Formats: sequence, C-alpha cells, structure tokens
Amino acid sequence: MTTLSLENADRRKAWGFVAPALVWTVAFFVVPFLFMAAMSLWSRQGREIVRAWNLDNYLRFFGENALLKGLSNSLEITLTVTVLSVLLAYPLAWIIAERVPKRFQRTALILAILPFWTSYVVRSYSWLLVLTKNGVINQALLGIGIISEPLEIASTRTATVIGFVHFFVMLLTLTIYANLVQLSPNYRRAAADLGANGLQTFWHVILPLTLPGIMTGAFLTFVLCIGDYITPQILGGNNELVLPQIIMLQIGRRADLPMASALSIVLMLAVTLAYALCARWLKIDRV
Amino acid sequence: MLRHRLSTLLAVIYAAALFGFIFLPVAVLVLFSFQDGRLPVPPFNGFSLQWYEAIFADRKLMAALLNSLIVATASSAVACLLGFMAAYGFARYKLPGSVLQRGLLIAPMTVSYLIIALGLLTVLNTLGIGLSLWTVGIGHVVINLPLCFAIIYSSMGDHHVNIERAARDLGASDWKVMLLVTAPMLMPSILASFFLSVTFSWDEFIIAFLLSRFNVTLPVEIWSLLRSGLNPKTNAIGSVVFLASIALLAILELTLFRKKNTP
Amino acid sequence: MSVGKEGNEMKTGKRPGACMRRFLQSATALAAIAFAAPTLAQDELNALVWCDHTDPTLIEPFEQANNVKVNLKDFEGTGAGLSIIEQSQPGDWDVMVIDGVDVQRALDMDLFAELPADALPTADIFPEVRLDKNNSRDGKIYAVTEKFGYNTIAYDKSKVDVNDMKNLSSLWSEKYKGRIAIYDYYLPLIGIAGLELGKKTAELTDADLPAIKDRLVALKQNSKQVSDVVSSQTALATGEVDILLGGGEWITGVLSADKPDLDWTIPDEGGLLWTQSIAVLKTSKKQELARKFVQYIVSPEGQARLATSSCYWAMPANSKAGDHLTDAQKAALRWSDQASYLPKTQLYPVPSAELDQKMQDVWTEMLQQ
Repeated sequence: MTTLSLENADRRKAWGFVAPALVWTVAFFVVPFLFMAAMSLWSRQGREIVRAWNLDNYLRFFGENALLKGLSNSLEITLTVTVLSVLLAYPLAWIIAERVPKRFQRTALILAILPFWTSYVVRSYSWLLVLTKNGVINQALLGIGIISEPLEIASTRTATVIGFVHFFVMLLTLTIYANLVQLSPNYRRAAADLGANGLQTFWHVILPLTLPGIMTGAFLTFVLCIGDYITPQILGGNNELVLPQIIMLQIGRRADLPMASALSIVLMLAVTLAYALCARWLKIDRV
Repeated sequence: MLRHRLSTLLAVIYAAALFGFIFLPVAVLVLFSFQDGRLPVPPFNGFSLQWYEAIFADRKLMAALLNSLIVATASSAVACLLGFMAAYGFARYKLPGSVLQRGLLIAPMTVSYLIIALGLLTVLNTLGIGLSLWTVGIGHVVINLPLCFAIIYSSMGDHHVNIERAARDLGASDWKVMLLVTAPMLMPSILASFFLSVTFSWDEFIIAFLLSRFNVTLPVEIWSLLRSGLNPKTNAIGSVVFLASIALLAILELTLFRKKNTP
Repeated sequence: MSVGKEGNEMKTGKRPGACMRRFLQSATALAAIAFAAPTLAQDELNALVWCDHTDPTLIEPFEQANNVKVNLKDFEGTGAGLSIIEQSQPGDWDVMVIDGVDVQRALDMDLFAELPADALPTADIFPEVRLDKNNSRDGKIYAVTEKFGYNTIAYDKSKVDVNDMKNLSSLWSEKYKGRIAIYDYYLPLIGIAGLELGKKTAELTDADLPAIKDRLVALKQNSKQVSDVVSSQTALATGEVDILLGGGEWITGVLSADKPDLDWTIPDEGGLLWTQSIAVLKTSKKQELARKFVQYIVSPEGQARLATSSCYWAMPANSKAGDHLTDAQKAALRWSDQASYLPKTQLYPVPSAELDQKMQDVWTEMLQQ
C-alpha cells in the first residue's frame, strides 16, 4: 500500500528525530575518541608533541614495570571490588525484595542508596576519616576491647577497596533488586512443586534468572571502578598507583597527552575485554 | 517454623549490618561537620556551627554550587531532549541499521569517564578551544545521553502507538504528536531519566576537573578545598549537599513519583 | 562570571529547541542576578598560583582596592604549572607563582615579562632568598621571591624521640617503621635522599639516581604513605603518622593552634630550602594590573597575609612583613631562628628536562613498590 515516496518522507522524518543524538555522540564522543587514539601514536619529546606515528608509548608501557603494575593493580582492585560488591549486595537486595513487606520496599530501597547523594569526593574523604588510626572504627574497637592496637587500614589497598565497595553495594542493590522483583513467583512455586528445597530453587532457578541483572550491574561496576581516580587517590595513600592515577600524572605533571592517551587506550582495552567476557549476559540498554 | 524464624533473624542482622556500613561514613561526616575545632576526627570537642558559617561565607564555594546546578540541569535537559527524540525515532520508524545506531548511542556508557574527558581534552586542546562550564556541560551530555535514551526507549511500548495514530488521524503533525501526545504519556520515564542524569552530572568529578578552568563545579571546588587546608568545611558542605538532596528526593517521591506506584 | 556572555552564544547556536532556550534564558538570568554585584564592569586577572594564594583574606583586599576579580587556579609543582600554560592560549594567564629554582626554566620558554627594579621592594627582601641568579637574566629582573621555607622533618614531639630527628638516617630505622609519611613531590624528596647519601642537590646527576632510588624505595618500605599537602597535614594531625619527611613550618604552622605538639627541625645532614617566586606572564594583556598584583603580594601587608594563609604557613620574603604579624604568628613561623636555619639548607635540585623525566620515573617506580 505504502508508496516509495511516502517511505522516503517517513525516513527523512525519522532521521530528523534520531540525528541530533547521533550527531552529538559522534561529534563529542566518537571523534574525540578516535583523535585520542591517534594521539596515542604521537609522542612528547621535551616540550613538544611530535606528530610522528609510532608505537613508542605502548612499548614504553609494556617495558616499564611501574606502568604495567598500574594495570595489574587496577585489575586486581577492580575485580576484588566487583566480586565483593555483588556478594554483599545480592543478599541485601534479596532481603528487600522477599522479606520486607511490599509497601515498605520502596522506602527500604531508597534508604539503601541514600548516601549516593553525599558528594562523591566528600564520601571518599569521609571514609578516610572513619578509617584513620584515631577514626571512629579504631576508637570504637579499642573502646570495646576487641583490639589493643589500632588497625592500620587508612592509606592501604583495603581502604581503597572499602571506599569502592561502599559505593557499588548501593548501586548493585538497586540493579539486583530491580531484577528480583521482575521474577514471577510462579517459577518458585513450580520449583517447589517439583520437590526442590529453598537452596535448590535458588541455585537452579532464581540465580540463573537473575544472572543477566547481576552481570549488567557487575559490568557497570567494573567500568566505573577501573576508571576512577578519586577513591584510590584519597584512600590509597599513594602506596600503589592504579592506571587512572598514572594517567592523571601524565596530564598533570608532564603535560604528556600522548602517553596519557596511550594509557587510556590500554584502560579501554581492559574494559572491552571485560565486556567480551560477560557480553552474553549483558543487556546494557535495559539498565 | 524455627528455621524460618532463624532465617528472618539472620536477614535482620544482615540488613542491619549492611545499612550500618552504608550509613557509617555519612553519619561520621555529618557529626564532625559540627566539630568545634579544626580536626574532623574524634574526639568530638563540642557542638559548633562555625563551619557552616564558613561555607556560606565562602564565595567560591557558593559560586561552584550554582555552577553545578546550572551545568547539571542544562546538560540533563539537553540529554533528555536528545534521548527522547532519538527514542521516539527508533521506536516509531524502521530505520536501516538501527541496531548499530542504537549501539552507538549506548556506547559512551561502557567507557570510563576519564577516557571521555581525555578525548574531549585532546580535541579542545588541539583546536585551541578554551575550557569553561560549556565544555563540562558538553561532556556531561555525552555521559547522560545514553542513560536518558535507554530509559525512555525501554518505556516506549507499542500500546502508545494507537493513541498517537488517533492524534495523527485528527490532523496533528508529527512534532505535535511527539510533544503533545507521546511526551506526556512518557513523562514518568522522562522525569526519571532527567533526575537520574542531574544526579550523575551533579556528582561527576573527572570530566568537570579536566574540562573546566576558573568556573568550576562543586565536586571540583570540594577537591581543591580538600587540598587547601584541613578543616571541617568539607564535612559541612558535604552535609548540606546531602540534606538538600534528601529534601529534594523526598519532595519528588511524595509528588511526582507517587503516581507511578498507583496504576 | 562569564555565564551571561556564553548564554548569548548558546542562543545563536545550532541547537535551539524552545524549552532549552527558555531554560537557558532563565539560567542565565539567575546567574546574572547571583553575580550582579561583583561583576559590574570589572576587570579580571587570571593567576596561576599555589594553594596559599587562594585564601580570600589575601585576595579580597586587592580585589576591592582595584575593583577587579582575581581568577585563581592552583597547581602543585612546576611541571603541573607549565603543563597548564601549554594547554592554554597565549594571554590566558596574567600572573604565575613558580618555584624559585624553576624561574630559569620558564625563562627558557620565554614566559615572563620583565619587572622594573623600582617597582619591587628589593632592599626589604631577606638577602638569603633574594636569589638574583634565579630571578633575573642578563641584568633584567623577571620574578621576585615571595615566600620561603624548608623541606625537612616535621614530627609530633609527644610521640617521637626528638634526638632521633636530628639525624635523617633514623627515618630508615626499624623504630619508625610505618610511622612516616613522605611528602609527594619528587624534587625535594630526591634532594633529601641525596643529602642523606652525602650528595649536594646542585650536583646531582644521572649517575646518582640508582643509589637515590634504592634509598627512596627503602624509605617507602619504612613508611605509611606518600601524600600531598593536605593529606600530609591530615595524617600528622590525626596521628595517622608521627613524622612527615619533606615537611616543615608550612605543615605545622597552620595547625599550631590545634596541635601544639607538632614540631619540625633541620637534621644534621641538612634540609632543603624552597622559595616561591611570582612573575608576570609576557603574553598577559593586562601587564599593569598584573604588576600591581605582584606588588601587592610582595608588599608588607600582602606578605603577612600570604605568610599565614589558610593552605600553609611559611616565612614571607619581605622583612617588613614582621610589622603586620602577631608575636604568636611570628613564633609559629620561627621568625627569629631563620638565621640559624638558612646556612644548613640547600636549594632544590635543578634538573635538565631529560634528568627531570628520569627523576619522575624514579618517583613513579618508588610509588609502585
């Protein structure tokens, strides 16, 4: 019925709706990204950025232990944080979805993510004050008598991980909860009818059904965590550097944008790898 | 029965422990914002409002607060508008290669903010474009557009199509249909995506840090506050932001989003 | 505040959209109202400074007296400062604060404008920190020293054995393991590690770096953290650490009222003297105003405010500043002890660009250990 000309008109209209967003994304995301990728092949010599194409920055990255260690620190911390956050958030999301009466669920959920709204920089700094030798945790533990010497947590990797986990537990509780409440109670009833006990039902039915939600949340955690500068900078005490800290050093102290770009590409590859590994469970556009 | 009670007990303990963990830094933050003295650590010397007075007297901090508000609302408005239009286009028309294009729109979500910021920085630098709140705003649209698009697109069900068709049959133009019919129907998700992106933009550090110069947003100003002298001002501004956000959240919850719960 | 102007640019931009425009208009109006008072026909001065210049008690008197708005951007370390300049357009910056030893580096880049000798209180500046060799070239003055202090050992005297602090090597001993913070700036710390090895900062070369690196790595293993100005202050003040290597009056002075136990000393091996200079950028379009700002900063009043600024305290370069400081402030600054400190200290190392890169690499490697 529809004629060719009508289709064309429709298509033009459709482009009118879609184009602004696409143009914006291409202009301010794709082009800068490609430009940065190109720049990573240049190099900084003395005070000049030399536009000669080579792999020097990447060779330097793989040749210098301090830089390579930045990547491995980043990966170790990010994986620890992701796993810990999922393990801590899942039960909380489950409790809110299953044990809290329906009409209080929303309130409980909002409570669980409320500290989101303290400023992010302030939150890390606040953790530093909580964890320091004279901080609340040590004072409380010393007071009760559980420990006799203050724990050395501040300015360690543990502090960085705690700061991160705090943030991502909130995020993951939200995404996992959203996933859990979408499950139809029929699944559980069916499993019970088939003679499965609670644990079996969870393991064989609920967990597989919520896996996409978990993976999506975990992937978001991975992306946000591996690219973060503030938390390790404030809580880590410079006792080890993660990749974003090294990138910021290149920008801040050396004005070495080519090297910073190369390191960013490495960071990007790590994220892409993570994406490839969990791609089959991911539904990014359903977040 | 006993098992159920036991598991309930465990659940309560677990939830209490986790809520304790989640609220610990906030509680400490707020408590020591009232510290009488320079050191925001125990012992608590006594109650004082001096740091609140100090932040409200701090011109730069207040300017940063306003800057953040402007950047967050403006960039979220742009992100929502673009996201909504794109969602409408993709949901109502069959476009060749639309899967790829949708993927492109979502792509910034899978990239670290640091990389987005650095990419923009290298381009702006090479083109000799000065940094300002505008460049920060552009960066924030980049990170929030995928979010707004995804949320609005996923709420754009087929059941709206009939109403739109009816409107069109009555002679409304496409733009009119979109603005006067579709947008109101999707208002909850448009608002949700708007406030979500306001939250992200409001709290974003690295893009705002790398792409701004003198007029900075609040997180950047707090960062330099942190690096320019130890005192509980940081606690005070953090607490103010927190309480103001909760108030806003409560208002939204009681007015706008209430409807969503009762179909 | 330039939001108003930019608002107009946006309105003529490519992406109007009625809502957006209305929104921007109201946002612009809001901004205009909020900033109406301080923006009336004001000149602006862009200053690239260290964090001590961001204290309003220092800047506001100048702003009011000259009806200007001073835009401040703070940075740490010359590398960072030069990096910001490189990433800006010529004319973006009017004034810059820089390490005294790095003025020549900036002059190599032809960054600074000449300062007329009669505009500066040269006679009032302590002769030991006048540093003509650094601040001028070919008989022309390009920068002036505004503040100085030491990178040595700061500590909590109620927690350490004060006698140990007279000896740099004690910081490598088991006794202080895990109780030390290292100031996160590679130049002075490499200098200090050199002093401990008996090397003069001015004579450091490539060949010294391996030994220095070993000492730094050993030091790192003995310490708790490596941190910037405020993290260092926080760590010392909260008792997280008992010693800050690289610290001095600039870290203890500001906390003197709350933490009287904080102290600092120059050990027998010596310490590092840092000086900061202020200069006018050659490309500045506001030479006169910029010079006025420099004059204000080195005036006795400006110097007293700078010396006791909220980010960190340190000795003013202008000897007349003493008239504007209280006795308690002077005591915290150790005003009268300076004559005994200065002979025991050396200036920062001044590496070539290449050596500088290597030093930064040593530092990064040390952090990663």
